[in-house]
Amino acid sequence: MYLLKKIKMNKSKLLISAAMSVVFLSNSAFAADYPSRPISMIIPYGPGGATDISARTISEPLSKEVGKPLVMVNKAGAGGAIGSVAVQNAKADGYTMLFARVGTHTVNPAIKATLPYKLEDFRFVGIYEINPVACAVKADSDINSMEDLVARAKAKPGSVSYSSSGVGSLLQLAAAMVLKEFGLENPVKQATHLPMKGGGGAATAVLTGTATFVCTNSSALASFVKNKQLKPLLVTTAEPVAGFDAPTSKDLGKPNLEQLVGWTGVAGPDDLPDDIAASWGKWLGTATSNKEFKEKMEARGSVIRLMSPEESKEFINKQYNQFKALVDELGMRVEG
Amino acid sequence: MTLLENLAAGFELVANFESVFALAGGVLIGVIAGAIPGLSATMAVALTLPFTFAMQPITGILLLLGVYKGGIFGGSIPAILIKTPGTPASSATILDGHPMVKNGQAGKALGMALWASCTADLISNLALILCAGWLAAFALKFGPPEFFTLILFSLTIIAGVSGDSLLKGIVSALFGLILATIGLDLVYGTNRFTLNDPNLMGGLNFIAVLIGLFAIPEILAMVWNPKSNEGETQSLGKEWVTFAEYKRCFKSIVRGSFIGVFLGSIPGIGAAPSAFLSYSEARRKSPNKENFGKGEIEGVAASESGNNGVAGATLIPLLALGIPGDVITAVIIGAFMVHNLQPGPMMFLNSPDIIYGLFMGLIISSVFLFLIGSVAIRAFRYVADIPRGILFPAVMVLCVYGCYAVNNNIFDVGVMFAMGWLGYVMLCKGIPAAPFLIAFILGPLLEDNFRQSMLMSGGSGEILVRGPITWFFWTLTIITIVAIIRSGLGKKKAEAVEHGNQE
Repeated sequence: MYLLKKIKMNKSKLLISAAMSVVFLSNSAFAADYPSRPISMIIPYGPGGATDISARTISEPLSKEVGKPLVMVNKAGAGGAIGSVAVQNAKADGYTMLFARVGTHTVNPAIKATLPYKLEDFRFVGIYEINPVACAVKADSDINSMEDLVARAKAKPGSVSYSSSGVGSLLQLAAAMVLKEFGLENPVKQATHLPMKGGGGAATAVLTGTATFVCTNSSALASFVKNKQLKPLLVTTAEPVAGFDAPTSKDLGKPNLEQLVGWTGVAGPDDLPDDIAASWGKWLGTATSNKEFKEKMEARGSVIRLMSPEESKEFINKQYNQFKALVDELGMRVEG
Repeated sequence: MTLLENLAAGFELVANFESVFALAGGVLIGVIAGAIPGLSATMAVALTLPFTFAMQPITGILLLLGVYKGGIFGGSIPAILIKTPGTPASSATILDGHPMVKNGQAGKALGMALWASCTADLISNLALILCAGWLAAFALKFGPPEFFTLILFSLTIIAGVSGDSLLKGIVSALFGLILATIGLDLVYGTNRFTLNDPNLMGGLNFIAVLIGLFAIPEILAMVWNPKSNEGETQSLGKEWVTFAEYKRCFKSIVRGSFIGVFLGSIPGIGAAPSAFLSYSEARRKSPNKENFGKGEIEGVAASESGNNGVAGATLIPLLALGIPGDVITAVIIGAFMVHNLQPGPMMFLNSPDIIYGLFMGLIISSVFLFLIGSVAIRAFRYVADIPRGILFPAVMVLCVYGCYAVNNNIFDVGVMFAMGWLGYVMLCKGIPAAPFLIAFILGPLLEDNFRQSMLMSGGSGEILVRGPITWFFWTLTIITIVAIIRSGLGKKKAEAVEHGNQE
């Protein structure tokens, strides 16, 4: 085991030094003919998940723009950390890129102290989709609004529970944030967090009555809402979400909640050269305006919104700082 | 409309060239993908998904279902022939399937796997069509406390797959439980035994453990003692499975199918525990009990019916409630969504034609599975004839490649070899590998559901006996444990008597 680790360490050292020398020697030399070979696109979650499907859907119009094949590589595990680390340690030559997601790059860094990477280790070349977040209870529940929910949590601490797809997931943070916004002083103490394995389990827990409510991407709840199995209480965007008969953050006068959205973007290691980032910005622009791509994504409930590399960085940092402040205030940080 | 009228309308939707072609193509893709270790049924379905976007909804979904069913069966081919399960679901098939190959009955084992799979598939589909509503309502009653008791009961399987010594079985299970604790803690999110290596944060990769535990020790044993099997040719066995054998195993197949249907309709369990449960039940009830683990055809029949019985039943929560029961059905839900269909109770009202079309398609898929499976095993069984000097290195390459392909992570290959050595030591000491695997699968489920129950109740143990389902499984668990102790004591007594007689 020790030997294995040592070999691995040497390898990563080698990689880093190789990456550095390449950057020093020819920062702009290969940009002219970039890309000259297939590009590995790391998906930090398993096949079939929301990130995987989103990534594979955009890869179609994107690879036409890039002109070289995009090789989709699933590197799942540890809530996306394994795939993210692989890109963090990769050469900054633009041939290893990451599909980054709200979970891997804002929620996880905000909650987990022991994460093997930081937000600054990555350079974002664009965000291409936004997923509104919705909160819902079981359809036959007597809770009809966020006020009802918070009133119950206050009246009987511990009687309200929320399910999530695990510690450090958007679902956990979203539920705590929403409760806090609606006046529950200490959501971590006054409500119970029920971590499930995976996002599907989280919605199911509300259906079976195991948890009181769940806050997650609207697309994950859409079919339950349409089938009248779940009752939406709010959506976090300012605009209404199709199929969700629930007040928006604007209707409720909670502008802070607008930051609470999921997203998917593309990132490389932090020392990715400018011209490569610029090329990606351009490619993503053309790919996201593809009509077929738009239709497919919108059918699954996501909102196509392209951000330039600069906008992406600003958006993500803002979300990260807000999440981090909340985590610190509520004492949700995982240290061990 | 009556059920029959609905089915007729559904048949109309399916009775066209595209749908039939999609089903057949799907089953073929699935069988081939399932037969390649490391290319699991999940991956095959996920990779096929983008191709369905441009198709008619029903055609696309049938294609995916074909891949799913084919993949679950396909996994049993390498499990039997080279002791390397193509999918986790077929790991129980190894227990008797591979010994049969060693006895020169490769054709027979593969044939029985196919017959049992198709029978279970059919029963599972019928359960879906006839009692989807009832089973879905049942599944919704399963919260963490119910899960906990179900899994506690399932852990008694360990006694059924321990071989001669229960003690050795428990030692093996303990190894599995300990290694399953590696990774992130579910409730606190803290690292457990990760040695600060991000690779260990996700826990040990299941496929790597599986391949390492079963396939690698075989190869190591061969390297250690290359001449042990000299002179002994693995005759492939022109022997085909007979109808009499099928009839003999029929009861086990039906039992396995129903176990599969029940476990499949409850989201979150999966095909591997179902296969093991079916196997251990078959062993408990069989007159050939002693022969299990040494190449008993009924064992193959039981485990294959257990895992294929799940395939149709996972569609029950999917169609009736809109809940994906496992990763594969989560991908299939994606295909529904792209076509703007929302699976759930309303779909039965809004688009019954599609639902009943799917039902008809599923019935037809069982037939295709039989036809394509027959061709596939005729092609694959010659693997058993390959000389060991060529076969084993090839298997080794396949294992490394398959293990890497799951997550594109070289660390997993390291895990596979480490597990291989552990497996080899266990093999030498006569410690069975199956209990290890069962504990490795069920241990984390048991822990998670226990802790979720405790969170729900605020730490009170009463929640674990909160309803009839929990009482039912507690009773079953107690009965089984008593039976195990009694048979253990009986055995000792018999041995003592025998011993006395000898003296």
